[in-house]
Amino acid sequence: MNRDGRITLFTIFALALCVLLQSTLLNRVAIKGVRPDLALIVLIFVSMRRGSMVGQVSGFAAGIFEDLMNVSPLGFHSLMRTLIGYLYGIFAGNVFIDPFLMPMVLTVIATILKGLLAGIVSAIFGIASSGFITFTGRLWIEVAYNGVLAPFLFALLGLFRIFKQADKEGA
Amino acid sequence: MPGLFEGFVARHRKGVTLAVLVIVSLTFLLVSNRSIVIKPKEVGLSFVGFFQKGFTGFFRWFGDTAGSIRQLNAARDELDAARAKLQDMDRVTREIVELRRQNAMLRGQLDLSQSLPPDRIAAEVIARDTDNLFSTITINKGARQGVRPGMPVVAYQGDMEGLVGKVLIAGPGASQILPLYDPQCLVSARLDASRDEGLVKGEGKDHGTLLLQYVKKTAKDAIQYGDLVVTSGLGGLYPKGINLGRVRDIRALAYETSLEIEVEPIINFDRLEYVFLIDAESSGGPPGTQAGPPGTTGAPGQ
Repeated sequence: MNRDGRITLFTIFALALCVLLQSTLLNRVAIKGVRPDLALIVLIFVSMRRGSMVGQVSGFAAGIFEDLMNVSPLGFHSLMRTLIGYLYGIFAGNVFIDPFLMPMVLTVIATILKGLLAGIVSAIFGIASSGFITFTGRLWIEVAYNGVLAPFLFALLGLFRIFKQADKEGA
Repeated sequence: MPGLFEGFVARHRKGVTLAVLVIVSLTFLLVSNRSIVIKPKEVGLSFVGFFQKGFTGFFRWFGDTAGSIRQLNAARDELDAARAKLQDMDRVTREIVELRRQNAMLRGQLDLSQSLPPDRIAAEVIARDTDNLFSTITINKGARQGVRPGMPVVAYQGDMEGLVGKVLIAGPGASQILPLYDPQCLVSARLDASRDEGLVKGEGKDHGTLLLQYVKKTAKDAIQYGDLVVTSGLGGLYPKGINLGRVRDIRALAYETSLEIEVEPIINFDRLEYVFLIDAESSGGPPGTQAGPPGTTGAPGQ
């Protein structure tokens, strides 16, 4: 298996772990019932480091895992995470990521994008949900929560050698 | 020709992979979600409606914030009055707690609990939804323990029993509950004091409240703030008389023929640890009759 394959497997494992944490332990630190989306932050980090291919494939796999755990229809999270993984992967190696500001900005944009995608997919497919199908308070809480956590998680993930920055060709 | 295709795939590896993954996701969505909107007009309407809802929600948020500041002053006066009332209530509550304890002791002595049918399945909350988009609750009991989709779920908090929701999916060893605050959860309800009937609907986790609809406008004078709202038993899904919440606000909109009553749930869903699933079939009683008291299956209540 090549390096990207190993990284993809490792990322899928990390994302699945985040999804499990989100459904269990993170309920204790929920703000008004809203938990941070650790899986999204990890996906952004990996996509920005390793490119679109790793981002979209691991995003798809983690999304399917999430769909199996949730009441959401199969394909809902996988579609969102695939698109976000791909989009962020496009910028791999082209954006300088400082330790603080860029992780926040990238995560805030990704969370809003997730809300937008969730709303559009729900509207088209008639999916009922009590979350931020419209741009309500819950979305903004998650935007802030994810944004605050992103620099710390980026710093933590940066310690893993497996996520070392890809060269432009590999991206 | 095959060479051309292979060349194209090799050149656009990432784009082709994206297309495949998106198509697979959309296929899953089409297959697993029956309520797909396929008419172009409806798709367009839903799409535009999504943005319209977004704008409305955004501006409403600003409006609500301004309104909140005005309400703050009024709330301060109400707080003083409420504090005085609370002291009185504290005394009453202490008396009630003492009476309940005496009652439980006497019941124990009479060994009443032994004669109750084992119609409740105790379960522990083990997870919530992974994302903030949906609002299901996962419990550690499934079909193997007798859990079936549609079973009503209750919990106990602060010496009160309250409805949590209903079982949505029953897996072999775990199940998912649709909570009361989910907009998809509809419960036939009744105001305990005035006996007026209505329909309770969740307003999402955002609001933290429920909405009691279809109560006649003529009933407005008979309804007081703090009135208890219970299940009416109509429809057969939820047993009669389970507490849902208390009246928090009453709105009589000019363009509506019925009242809109905001209800604060009895159950604090953020503190939910243990729940009880009511098995109306095993109790032998027809739906619409209140099942027996809690604690018959040995799990801790709240």
